[in-house]
Amino acid sequence: MKHDFETPLDVAAVRADFPVLEREVRPGVPLVYLDNAATSQKPLSVIEAMNDYYRRYNANVHRGIHKLSEEATDAYEGARKRIAQFINAASYREIIYTRNTTESINLVAWTWGQANLGPGDVILSTEMEHHSNIVPWQLLARRVGCEVRYVPITEGGELDMEAFHQMLDELPVKLVAVTHMSNVLGTILPVREIVEAAHAAGAVALVDGAQSTPHIPVDVQEMDADFFAFSSHKMLGPTGIGVLYGKRAILEEMPPFLGGGDMIKRVELGKSEWNDLPWKFEAGTPSIAEAIGLKVAIDYLEGVGMENVHAHEVAITAYALERLAEVPGVRVLGPSDPTRKGGVAAIVMDDAHPHDIAQILDHEGIAVRAGHHCAMPLHQRYNVVASARASFYLYNTFEEVDRLIEAIYKVKETLTF
Amino acid sequence: MDRQSAIDTILDHYENPRNYGRLDNATFVHEGRNPGCGDLVRLYVRLDGEDRIEAIRFEGEGCTISQAAASLLTGLVLGESLDDVLKMDEMLLADALGPEVVMNRLPCVNLSLRILQEGGRAYRQT
Repeated sequence: MKHDFETPLDVAAVRADFPVLEREVRPGVPLVYLDNAATSQKPLSVIEAMNDYYRRYNANVHRGIHKLSEEATDAYEGARKRIAQFINAASYREIIYTRNTTESINLVAWTWGQANLGPGDVILSTEMEHHSNIVPWQLLARRVGCEVRYVPITEGGELDMEAFHQMLDELPVKLVAVTHMSNVLGTILPVREIVEAAHAAGAVALVDGAQSTPHIPVDVQEMDADFFAFSSHKMLGPTGIGVLYGKRAILEEMPPFLGGGDMIKRVELGKSEWNDLPWKFEAGTPSIAEAIGLKVAIDYLEGVGMENVHAHEVAITAYALERLAEVPGVRVLGPSDPTRKGGVAAIVMDDAHPHDIAQILDHEGIAVRAGHHCAMPLHQRYNVVASARASFYLYNTFEEVDRLIEAIYKVKETLTF
Repeated sequence: MDRQSAIDTILDHYENPRNYGRLDNATFVHEGRNPGCGDLVRLYVRLDGEDRIEAIRFEGEGCTISQAAASLLTGLVLGESLDDVLKMDEMLLADALGPEVVMNRLPCVNLSLRILQEGGRAYRQT
């Protein structure tokens, strides 16, 4: 449909870099991939970089005094430096490789949390968290006897900042653990303000960047978070690798996470001496090809420009919200201002269960996610069991939004009783 | 069965559920949910002296497929022995509803059968 929204991207050129976007899900039905908040597609450069490692210089890192191991180590550690630069960390030593955001947060719970929290202490989180920023703290609370409290969210899907400041004032908060961008509502939280308030209250701040890092510029020093976690696979990189950023001073004081090779300097049968940062937290052979793939994904994103990625998504989301608003009986959870949220539309429809919506959309070639998106407390907050979530990325087009809307009308035709 | 007639069957069961509601004098009542989507089915089952299903009714809420499958199941198992019900295959309902439409929704399809079998086993152990 005709509209006034403009994107700074040459989307056709971007799409040509992603082989999977050429496919049809059934003969004559091209793929419309709108499940980017779950995982993103990968550009050819990422796929080829990982292939190249396996074809030309597959070797273990930090071990062998041989050519291939040196090349693998250079690529693997070079990726770490690239990641540090991408999020503006002060040093590559603050970049710890993990499997994903979930493991990054669990690492903090098992090391910093286990060493620093106890009975009477409070972890302050929010009602809009992904389960990965709730359950590790519940498990920690069970182990050490601390308590987890949740800042409420407003009807419009924003964090209730008044309640946040009040809870921070009144409770003995030792850790504030919040998302940067909600994976359901798309809400972008004022993390700078949250971190500053946490620090003023003497608490440490962890920010879950799984949804923000792929879509908006991130500067961890400006944000001042003590910990920041994200995953490669949502930002054009492979699965199996994620990052925990931590401020060096805190990481130095923390006990290690998993024990094994590579995380030690010296092992005697009675005791061991831990390795320097960041390797203190990286036991065993890591995901080498995946780190290299993530580096190339970052190259790709920076080639496009994170500001442009974000501007494109604001335009696509604005168009999607406008068109969804035309459809009777359809409601989108979360903020209605597309500049205040990520490229997400969690859809609830009268008379249609989200799984039924997703299945009918799938028949039209449209991939969305249906369910609670690992955020059951959030859905309870809105008194819905689940939603159907369309989430956008740099390769999505206005025409794909049109196809989504047409398919939603088909849902209504099929399921209106 | 083609796709459209499968959808029509599902919608018919969803809109006009068979054996819907509570059942007095049930031998056992069992309910459960699908964690992924919150679909709920509660089954009321009355057995006769030979452990055959003499009456069965259900209540529930959730997606069309979970509720249509529950409706269909109540008709299929009426008069069957509990032993046979406990042996029922997970493809039974999918085949009856049209695999082309429901194969990627097996947890929804089989919620009611799972609840019936869980309830039946629990009853046997008491």
